[in-house]
Amino acid sequence: MTLEGSSAANHVADTPALTLENVTAGIGPLTILHDLSMVVPARKVVVILGANGAGKTTLLRTIAGLLPPRSGRICLFGEPIHGRPAHLVTRAGIGHVPSGRELFPRLSVADHLDLAGKVSTPGRRAEIREQLLEMFPVLAERLRQPVGTMSGGQQQMVAIARALMTDPRVLLLDEPSTGLAPKVVLAVFETLPVLRAQGVSVVVAEQSLTLGLSHADEAFVLDHGRVVLSGAASELAQDHRVIDTYLGR
Amino acid sequence: MIGMCSSSKKGHVSMPHTSRINAGYLLTAAAFLAVAISIPVFGSEYTVQLATDILSFVALGYSWNLISGFAGYISFGQVSFFGLGAYTTAVLVNHFDVPWYVAVCCGGIVTAIVAAIFGPIMLRLRGILFALGMLGLARILTVVFSDWDYAGGAAGTTLPPQLNPSAVYIGMVLTALCAFAVNAYFARSGFGLDAMSVREDEDAAGALGVPTTRVKVITFILSAVFPGLVGGLIAWNRSYLDPASAFDPTLDLQTIVFTLFGGIGTVWGPLIGTSVLMLIGEQLLIHFSSLKLALYGAVVIATVLMFPGGLVSLLNRFGLLKRKLILAPPELPLGNAPAAIDAGLAAGDSLLEVRDLSVRFGGLLALDNVSFKLRRGETLSIIGANGAGKTTLFNAITGFVQPTGGEILFRGSTVSALPVIDRVHLGMARTFQIPRLLSELSVWENVVLAARHGRQKHQAVEHAAWVLRTVGLDEMWLEPVARLTPGRQRELELARVLALQPDLVFLDEVMAGMTKEEQERVRSIIRRMSDFGVVGIVCVEHVIAAIADLSDRMLVLDFGRKIADSKPTEVLNDPVVIKAYLGEIQ
Amino acid sequence: MLAVQLLINGILLGGTYVLIAQSLNLIFGVMRVVNLAHGSFIVMAGLFTFWLSARTGLSPLIVLPIVFVVSFVVGALLQPVLIEPLMNQGRRAELLSLMVTFGLDYVLVQIALHVWGADYVSLPYLQSTWTFGAITLSKALVVVGLFAVGIVALLYFGLNYTSFGKSLLAASQSPVGAACCGINVRRVRLFAFALGIALASSAGTLLIMILPMAAESADNLTILAFVIVALGGLGEYAGVTIAAFLLGLAQSLAGYFLGGDAANVLPFVILIAVMLLWPQGLRRAA
Repeated sequence: MTLEGSSAANHVADTPALTLENVTAGIGPLTILHDLSMVVPARKVVVILGANGAGKTTLLRTIAGLLPPRSGRICLFGEPIHGRPAHLVTRAGIGHVPSGRELFPRLSVADHLDLAGKVSTPGRRAEIREQLLEMFPVLAERLRQPVGTMSGGQQQMVAIARALMTDPRVLLLDEPSTGLAPKVVLAVFETLPVLRAQGVSVVVAEQSLTLGLSHADEAFVLDHGRVVLSGAASELAQDHRVIDTYLGR
Repeated sequence: MIGMCSSSKKGHVSMPHTSRINAGYLLTAAAFLAVAISIPVFGSEYTVQLATDILSFVALGYSWNLISGFAGYISFGQVSFFGLGAYTTAVLVNHFDVPWYVAVCCGGIVTAIVAAIFGPIMLRLRGILFALGMLGLARILTVVFSDWDYAGGAAGTTLPPQLNPSAVYIGMVLTALCAFAVNAYFARSGFGLDAMSVREDEDAAGALGVPTTRVKVITFILSAVFPGLVGGLIAWNRSYLDPASAFDPTLDLQTIVFTLFGGIGTVWGPLIGTSVLMLIGEQLLIHFSSLKLALYGAVVIATVLMFPGGLVSLLNRFGLLKRKLILAPPELPLGNAPAAIDAGLAAGDSLLEVRDLSVRFGGLLALDNVSFKLRRGETLSIIGANGAGKTTLFNAITGFVQPTGGEILFRGSTVSALPVIDRVHLGMARTFQIPRLLSELSVWENVVLAARHGRQKHQAVEHAAWVLRTVGLDEMWLEPVARLTPGRQRELELARVLALQPDLVFLDEVMAGMTKEEQERVRSIIRRMSDFGVVGIVCVEHVIAAIADLSDRMLVLDFGRKIADSKPTEVLNDPVVIKAYLGEIQ
Repeated sequence: MLAVQLLINGILLGGTYVLIAQSLNLIFGVMRVVNLAHGSFIVMAGLFTFWLSARTGLSPLIVLPIVFVVSFVVGALLQPVLIEPLMNQGRRAELLSLMVTFGLDYVLVQIALHVWGADYVSLPYLQSTWTFGAITLSKALVVVGLFAVGIVALLYFGLNYTSFGKSLLAASQSPVGAACCGINVRRVRLFAFALGIALASSAGTLLIMILPMAAESADNLTILAFVIVALGGLGEYAGVTIAAFLLGLAQSLAGYFLGGDAANVLPFVILIAVMLLWPQGLRRAA
C-alpha cells in the first residue's frame, strides 16, 4: 500500500510498523473514526494532523488498545493487535504517551521508570535507563521527586521516558505540545529524530501544523475520523489544502 | 435506568404520548379503591394487619423514591424519620393526652422540621458521604432515645391499646396515597424535572438556572414526612415502642429492596416492587424466615447487577408503563417569539468587561492579566492554540474557576465573586465543550428545563417549542438524548442555553467535530441570536473560518496572554498571530 | 497516671482501627468502590475465630493466617462477580457499588446470624494483665494492638517498597497510565479487593480478643471504618492512619469519662460535627 504522493514507495520490502484497515471506533453511540485506513512505515516519524475533534486522540487510543475498534484490523509489524487490552498492546511493543500524560502524581520519577521497565528485557532495561537519563538530565537530577510536584515540561519528559522504558518498537505521542512553553516543545520534538535513529517508529498526533510538519517524515491529515490527505511532510507543507481542512473551508 | 417514551416515526411531531385521564387510570383507581374498602369490611384481622404492613412499606418506598430515585441522593435515612415520628406520637399520646391521629400528624410535622434543619447540612455532601451521614444519624438517634427516660429509655414505652385496627389501616391508606400522589407529581411536573436534573448532572443543572439547593432540600423534607407519619401509625398500631424497633436498620433494607426491585425513580416501581416482594416473598418464606433478609440482600445485588431499572424497566421493554415526558403537550405548538426583554442598555454600552484577569493553577499561570471589553450587540471570538488559556478564560468569566487576580464586570457591576447560578440569573449563560446534556431525559425535557425558569408553565411550553423550532430540533423533540448525533447534541446544548434567554452567551468550541451542514445550522442560529434576546456573544473556537465572518472582533490568546484584539481580518493577517497560532505559511 | 493509661489504651485500640480503616481505604483508593459490607467481613472472621478457637483450643494468633488466606480467596471470588461489572459504569460506579455492597452486607450478616447465632461472644484469650507501676495493661490489648500495627506496617512497606505494591498505587492514581506500563489493571483491582477483604478479616480475628462481637456489630464497624476514612481522606494513607489513632484515643477517653454508649456513638457524632463545621474537609475527600 503506497501513500498518495509520498516517498514511501522507495522503501523496499519493509514491514510497515502499523497497518490500519477500515477501522471504525467510537464511544457509546458516537462514532469517531469512520472506516479509517492508514499505513505507518517503519522507522519514520509520522505526524497525524487535524483540527480538534477530527479524531487524532481517538486514533491513538484505539491503536494503543484503550478503545476497542468496532470493526477493522490493526497490525503491528504484521501481527494483529486489534481487540487486545491496553496492557498487552504495551507488552507487544507499542509505547504510549497519552494526552493528559496520565502520570502517577505521588510516585517518583524512578518509580515511573521502574514500573515501565518491567516490560522490557532485563538487559535492555539498564541500557535504556542510562540512555534516557542522558537524554533528559533534568530527570536524572530528580529521580526521587514525586512527579506531581514537577512542572508541565518536566512531566512531559517523564511521560515520554516512561513510554520509552518499555523498549517500544512504535511510540505514540498524543499532542505532546499541549500546555508547554515553546522552548520545551521544541526540545520534545527534537528528540524524535533521535528516536527514529534508534529504530523506533514514531507516531505523533499534533494540532500545530508547523510543529508537526517540520519534524516529521510523513503526515496524515484527519477530518471527521477519516484520512483526507497524506504524504511526505515536506510536500504537504506546501499544500494549501491542509490549511483548508484545518480552517474548515 | 428509566424507560423512555420514544416517537415511533422520526419526524412525526404529533404523538399520543401524554396521558389523558383515560380509562386505564380510572380503572386502576377504581380497582384500588374497591380493594382498599373491601379489606376492612370483609377481611379478617390478619388481612387488615397485612394490608397495613404492606401499605406502610409502600409509603416508605415512595418516600425513599423521592430523594434517592428522583433526586439521585441515595439515602439510608428513612428509618431515622420513621423512629422520630414514632417517638413523637408516643410522647404526645402518653404525656400530653393528644388524640392519636393528631399525634401521628405531629410526628410528620416534627420529621419535616428536622429534615428542614439537617437537610441543608447533609445535602452539601454528595454521594457516599451523604449516605454515610444518614446512616450515622440513625445510630445516634438510637443512643439518644435509649438514654432519654422521658420517652421510655432503653426499655421502651407502651402506648394505650389501639382498639380499632381499621382506623390505623385507613390512616395508612391515606399516607400511602399521599406519598404516591407526591411521586406522581414529581413524575409529571417541572419541579420533578428539576429534581431529575440534579440527579443527572447537578452542576449542569445549576448552569441552567435550576435552584439545586432549594430543590434538594424540599425533596428531602418531603421524603421525611411520610416515614414520620408511618412511624407514628405503626407505633400506635403496636402499642409499644422501643429504640431498637424504632430505629431498626432492616427497615431501610426492606424499603430499598422493594423500591429498587420495582423500579427506582419511577411512579409505579415502589408499588409494584413492594406488592410483589411482600406478597410472594412473605408467603414463600414463612418456612425460611431467618433467611428472609439474606434473600432481600441477594435481590438487591441481583437487581443492581442485572436490571438496575427494576421491574418497571423490564416492563418498559414490552411497551408497558413507559415514562411520560414532563410538561410535554400532545403536539408541539408553534410557539411565539419571546417578547424582547429590554436589556437596559443602549447599543454600544459595556456589557462585559474583563480587567487584568489572572488564573494560576499551582505553579502554572494559565491566564496572565487578560483584559478586554464587550459592548452590547457585539460578537467576540477568542482563538488560540491548545493550552493557550481559552477554556480557563471562559471558566473564570462564567464562574467555574476562581480567578487569582483581576475583575469581571457584567453590565457595570462586579460578578467576580458570584457563584455560577447567580451569574446565570443575571443573564450570563454558557455551553460546554463536551455537551452536558441530561442524557436520561428527552430533547424536549432538556429544553423545557431551561425554559421554565422565570416563566409560568404555559409560557415555558410555548417558549421551549419556539426555541426548538427555531433551532431546528422540532422533529426530534421526543427523542431520548442518547440517540442524537454529536452535531445535534451540540445544537441541543445551544438550544438549552438560548431557552434561558440570556443577555450574554458563551459558546465553547461549538463547531468542533461538526460537518459543514451542521456548522451552517449553528452559524444561522448565531446570526439570529438577537431573536432569542441575546445581546452579546463570546465564542471560543478552533474552526476559525466558521466564525470569522460572524465576529465583530477577534481576540487571540497565546500562553495565557492576549496578543491581539481587533477586527478578524486584521487579526488573521497579523504576522504575530499567524506565527503563534497557524504557523508560517510559505 | 490515669492519663498515661488512657493514652496507651487509646493508642493500642487505635492500632486496630488503623487496620480496619486502611483495609477499606485500600479498596476505595484503588477502585473507588464503597464497601458497605466491610464490617460484616470483620464480624464473620471474628465469629469464625471464636468458633474455631473454642472447638480446637488453637490460639487466635494461629488462626489469623488461616483467616487471612481463606478471606483472600473469598474476596478474589467475589470481586469479578460483584464489583468488576460495575467498573465500566463511570460516574455511577460509586453509587452502584454502594447498593451492591449494601445488599452483600445483609446477606453476610444473615449468614453469620444463622451459623453463629445472635449472641455476643468474646475470646477469653490472654485475659491477664501486665502491671508497670501505676499502669495496668491488658495483655490481649497489647498483643492485638502490636499485631495490628505490624500488619499495617507490612501493608505500608508492601505498597511503597515492592514493585507489585507500586503497581497497585499506580493503578489507583491513573489506570490509563498503568496500562501504558503494561500493568494489568483488572488483575490489580482483583488483588486489591481480595487483600482488602483479607485485611479486614484479620482485624476481626484480632478484635474478638479484646471486644465482644456479635453479628449485629457489623454495621457499627462499617460505619466506624468509613468515619475514619472520611475524616482522614478517602485514599490518603497518612491521614487515615492519624485519624484512626485519634479516634481510638477519643473513644478510650470518652469510654472512661462518659460511658460505653457515648464511646459507641462518638464516631457518628464526630462525623456529623465535621460535616457541620468543616464540610470542605470531607468534600475534598469525596
